[in-house]
Amino acid sequence: MSVSEPVSAPGAADLRPTRHESFLAFDRFRFLKWAVILVALAIVMYLLVRPYGRPYGGGWTGYTLGTVGALLILWLTWFGYRKRSYTENAGRLAARLSAHVYLGIALFFVATLHTGFHFGWNVHTLAYALMCIVIASGIYGVYAYVRYPRQMTENRESMTTVQMLGRIAGIDDELRGVAMPLDDATVAVVERAITDTAVGGSAWRQLSGRYPGCTTAMAIAHMEAHAREVAPANADAWRQTRLKLEEKGAVLQRIRADIRYKALMEVWLYLHVPLTFALLAALTAHIISVFFL
Amino acid sequence: MRRSQHASGPRIGLGRGTDNAVPLADIRVGLHIAALVPREGGIAIEKLGSSPLIINGDSVDYARLNPGDEILLGPYRIEILPPPEGCDGAIQIELVQPMGAALERLSAGARIGLERTGASKRIYAWTGFVVIAVICLAVPIIFYSGGYMQPWSKQATNPKFPQLVGLSWNAGTFSNAHRFFAADCKTCHQGAFAAIPDNACLSCHAKVGNHVMHHVKLGAVGEELASLRCVDCHSEHRGIEGSVIREAHLCLGCHRNLADRAPAAEVRDIGGWPQGHPQFRATLVADAAKGATMRAELGTSPPPMDHPGIKFSHAAHLVKGGFPALGYKEMACADCHVAEPSGQSYLPITYKKQCESCHELSFDKVALPWPDAKVPHGDDVGVIAAVWNYYAGLALRGGAAAAPIPAAAPADRRGAGMPAPPAAAPPPGDTQGWVTAKSLEALRIVFDERRGCAYCHNSTAADGAWNTDKILAGALPPKADPPHVVAPVMLRTRFLPNARFDHASHRGMDCEDCHASRTAQTSGEVLIPGVDNCVKCHGGEKASLQAQSTCITCHIFHRSEFGAMRMTAGATP
Repeated sequence: MSVSEPVSAPGAADLRPTRHESFLAFDRFRFLKWAVILVALAIVMYLLVRPYGRPYGGGWTGYTLGTVGALLILWLTWFGYRKRSYTENAGRLAARLSAHVYLGIALFFVATLHTGFHFGWNVHTLAYALMCIVIASGIYGVYAYVRYPRQMTENRESMTTVQMLGRIAGIDDELRGVAMPLDDATVAVVERAITDTAVGGSAWRQLSGRYPGCTTAMAIAHMEAHAREVAPANADAWRQTRLKLEEKGAVLQRIRADIRYKALMEVWLYLHVPLTFALLAALTAHIISVFFL
Repeated sequence: MRRSQHASGPRIGLGRGTDNAVPLADIRVGLHIAALVPREGGIAIEKLGSSPLIINGDSVDYARLNPGDEILLGPYRIEILPPPEGCDGAIQIELVQPMGAALERLSAGARIGLERTGASKRIYAWTGFVVIAVICLAVPIIFYSGGYMQPWSKQATNPKFPQLVGLSWNAGTFSNAHRFFAADCKTCHQGAFAAIPDNACLSCHAKVGNHVMHHVKLGAVGEELASLRCVDCHSEHRGIEGSVIREAHLCLGCHRNLADRAPAAEVRDIGGWPQGHPQFRATLVADAAKGATMRAELGTSPPPMDHPGIKFSHAAHLVKGGFPALGYKEMACADCHVAEPSGQSYLPITYKKQCESCHELSFDKVALPWPDAKVPHGDDVGVIAAVWNYYAGLALRGGAAAAPIPAAAPADRRGAGMPAPPAAAPPPGDTQGWVTAKSLEALRIVFDERRGCAYCHNSTAADGAWNTDKILAGALPPKADPPHVVAPVMLRTRFLPNARFDHASHRGMDCEDCHASRTAQTSGEVLIPGVDNCVKCHGGEKASLQAQSTCITCHIFHRSEFGAMRMTAGATP
């Protein structure tokens, strides 16, 4: 999924994107063209049809841009609702997503022109600011969808999350076997690494991929520190345990990176969706307040 | 459970995938984890993917396999058996690490996905929606409708919180003039979903001037004008500069073709500024005696002439070097033209303030205990009596005996063409005769056709010429109701009454940059510059290298001299 990938040319009637076509490039950037035309029209109108005084949200230009902007917000929100429905076929979904992205970006320009570049501490600018955050988070979402799936695939090497967990579980079982002859202290840290394995967790852990109290890392550090105290008879078990712990560490790193990519790919939705609802409220207040008074 | 299976092909795949020749049904195993390939009559194993491949305890990527070798592939142990007849190799696969409690425990402890951190998009969304709907929509409506927001008044002080609530709906920057009451929406917004009524504006701006004189009938244009509401031209919340619309096309909408649509308005069509603006028309004096004015276009050839009824030469007064013989320095404009306090225009020119210091009206130099013998300026009918009274007074003090009338008037007091003084002197002791003779002597100078009044003024004669004999015939002794001798003077202070020129905002310039006063020889020459002078500095409303100028830079819409706007605007108090 990348804009740099070659775009095949689907027939006009066939809405199904080809396997490697990005939603961004859907139907030869059809919606990008629409968005550019919309923004160009908005700019032309802004420049040519001026109200008395400085441009503002009213007047012919202001009301037109405002109406277009409000309808875009409603339509884009409706898309978000429909997108969750799996009854849509994939082509339709790609078309909608492509339109959502490009028209969402176009909305920023339309709404900015609608403001006439007047801002203040009021409900009108609140609506605009919420809209900007929603659009910015959406742009991040596009970035995340373009960037992270590839990294995720590279990181996973065709394993699923359950497989990785299974691998860890397997290593845990093996660890229980190989660590058996080791001294009590080492067995204790190994056992803790087995029973107390942090996978995922708080939002910050998931997003940062940092697990400061990782028991496996602590067990490895313990073995590192006590490497010289190993009885010769236990050298092989020590080495095997150490290897298993490192293998577990590698798998943990992999699954934690996977969780991080997943989190990065969905975290923006926690701004995008709630702020869209806040925006709908602010937009309603904006429209009513303008005509109420 | 044990079962055996025969597989053939160039590569025998091992892995979770069902497309493998030897599927390994365990989720801990990769889709394609390894492959068996024939090699030199036996078999070898090749690692695929990332899962470690451990043969006899060593992690390898590729290895030749011999019977008895043991391979650890994830949870499976693979033992190499001696190949049966017709086969390259045989293996035995055993699941040695069944997935047990470890995976369940791990899966239970893992919290993968942000939705498992307690974050809920749905809760956040509805919370945000409700919070904003309440604070930004419900509360302002409740405050407005519930009467918490009071219209601004001089007496009442509104509580701060409702004002703050009102400000949350503020649609834009308030004009500076309206800020002191702007937080109270109801001052202007008197009803929900209703436009601002004119009365809201007129409650403060009741005296705002009309645009046209009430009696002028403008037909459809007048109705159009009367139907205008304040907010059609004035919008608030549009910036601190104010709510006055400055764009020319608001005016031009009507004024582009008013000559046809409303001839009664007597205004010419305006296409814009600087292009499309007609030459200025100055209001000049047509006949000072009748007080009649006229409108005359500037810049015509011959130029329009003013008729203020006074003889005056700017050029003569502004002569270089001044008047050394008389002891007067060179004059400057400001010696006579005194700005009014606002600096916008100039105070009227009066004899007392501007002329007298050089042009005294004394007619005798006899030292007296009372003020000098001066003709009263501005009182032409009193001049003869004043002179007579002066000499009568002088005679009472014995002046008649002290200064007998000489036989003949001094030659140097007579100009060419002047009438001769009385030939015979009155006999000594005839005091009235002396007074008459002295008065006549003085009045001949006062009413001389070149000196005295005539120096600056026209006479009341039809041609304005001074006929001294005619004026003085039978004038003495003074009569109760003598005729006027000096023609009225009418000096305008504003020549372009439909425009507003602010001298104060042009104070950096020299007077002569606009007024060609040094060459004006007569009072009839109009020194008001034409439109061509203004356009040197004043460009259109979007000019970048000239002063941006629009209609209201010079013209006022609300003309207070036309009465109040509300009388025609359809607004009732």
